[in-house]
Amino acid sequence: MTDTPTIQVLDVHKRFGSLEVLKGVSFAVHRGNVVSMIGASGSGKSTLLRCINHLEVPTAGDILIDGESLCWHVDAGGNRKPRPLSQINRIRRDLGIVFQQFNLWPHMTVLGNVIEAPQRVRGMSRKAAVELGQACLKRVHLGDKADEYPARLSGGQQQRVAIARALAMQPKVMLFDEPTSSLDPELTDEVLAVMRELADDGTTMIVVTHEIGFARDVSDQVMFLHNGLIEEQGPPAQIFGAPRSERLRQFVSKRLQ
Amino acid sequence: MTDSLREFFDLAIFWEYRTVLLRGLAVNFYVFFAASALALSVGLGAALLRNSRLRGLRWIGTLHVEVFRNAPEYVMIVWVHFVLPLLIGLLLHSRFEFNPFVSAMIALGFVYSGYFAETFRAGIEAIPMAHLEAARSLGMGEGLILRRIILPQVVRRMLPESINQFISLFKATTIVYLIAVPDLMYQVSMITQERMRPLPLYTGAALTYFAIVLIGGSSLRVLADRWRARILA
Repeated sequence: MTDTPTIQVLDVHKRFGSLEVLKGVSFAVHRGNVVSMIGASGSGKSTLLRCINHLEVPTAGDILIDGESLCWHVDAGGNRKPRPLSQINRIRRDLGIVFQQFNLWPHMTVLGNVIEAPQRVRGMSRKAAVELGQACLKRVHLGDKADEYPARLSGGQQQRVAIARALAMQPKVMLFDEPTSSLDPELTDEVLAVMRELADDGTTMIVVTHEIGFARDVSDQVMFLHNGLIEEQGPPAQIFGAPRSERLRQFVSKRLQ
Repeated sequence: MTDSLREFFDLAIFWEYRTVLLRGLAVNFYVFFAASALALSVGLGAALLRNSRLRGLRWIGTLHVEVFRNAPEYVMIVWVHFVLPLLIGLLLHSRFEFNPFVSAMIALGFVYSGYFAETFRAGIEAIPMAHLEAARSLGMGEGLILRRIILPQVVRRMLPESINQFISLFKATTIVYLIAVPDLMYQVSMITQERMRPLPLYTGAALTYFAIVLIGGSSLRVLADRWRARILA
């Protein structure tokens, strides 16, 4: 076992027209670690997370998944070319992402949502996929909701199904894009509880969040983004206990009140 | 006056010819199902073209919709049956003709593909991009996403509108007798020429079509509502 990081982000830039959202971000996430990204709206943290799943294509820089480039590949002639979609899809299977708006498919049952990709992307048999799907639903405490349609579940339950759907691909890393931002406070806790359990089980996670408490208690590393750059990063004790930058200090004190 | 009224309501003659009339009605259904299949597949193709990233393809899709949606069914049937074979014959340097059934299917199929393309397009555009992102993030390819995520939702969303289009298409199958497709109307006009009793025959035909559209349409609507209610909150 080498110490190749699970995720390596190398000087990633992202530009939308004249607006540069990411201005050169680099960091690494090691196996079993939980990294939280915090920062004000518009700091680029969601865009960065979406780049890691190639839902946004970085304008410059690269992302390595277990040492393999997500953005580029070297063809038979030895030339560096943008990676074709089919290969990106192969790498994506190992990157689970949970969105702010759950994005469950309304025409499929809860179990249908969870087993779709294992069955049709990984090529598992239906029986094996159902077994796996039910195990994933149990992990998010929704073992009894397999046959419901998403519309009949609460937001918190839907988000937990979305987590189970991502888990069912048995990804190397779970990416969370503000997973509780569209939930009522009482539903936020049930989702955060599931995420804590995943972290305790040793799941590699990158979490974009406004939940300072979660970032402080669960993360190994916290990154504070500002204006498309990592302004400060470190273990939670340092970020929340002894922030160096004035901006982070203000950000933290406003949210811990 | 009362005699003619009695004749009007006396549908015995309609009943007398029931086998041949049923055979005619079966032809209406043949044309309907064949044209529906063509309209749905060509319509889906045109809708995908209109949603394409390439401007040239979008333009072809738009042209398709505008041409066929604005063409009267009768004119299309006559044109496909009498003019199109001449053009194909010129290209092939030989005589060419369509079986009337094939002409009817092509003409109605293409006219309704224009309508279905718009329904498909509205259905596709109503699906949140985020559903597709969720699928992409799990490594699903574009073909799989179309088949498993987009189309099943589009079909549910477009059901109410497409039931109306199927009804229009079914009604339009009654003009195929103009190019001698032996449907119910064709049989009725043949019998009329022989027996000179247009009132009960055409009234019987009208009642038959009316009953089919009423019963077929409303039961499809009930089924569609049940199916949709379960899924769309």
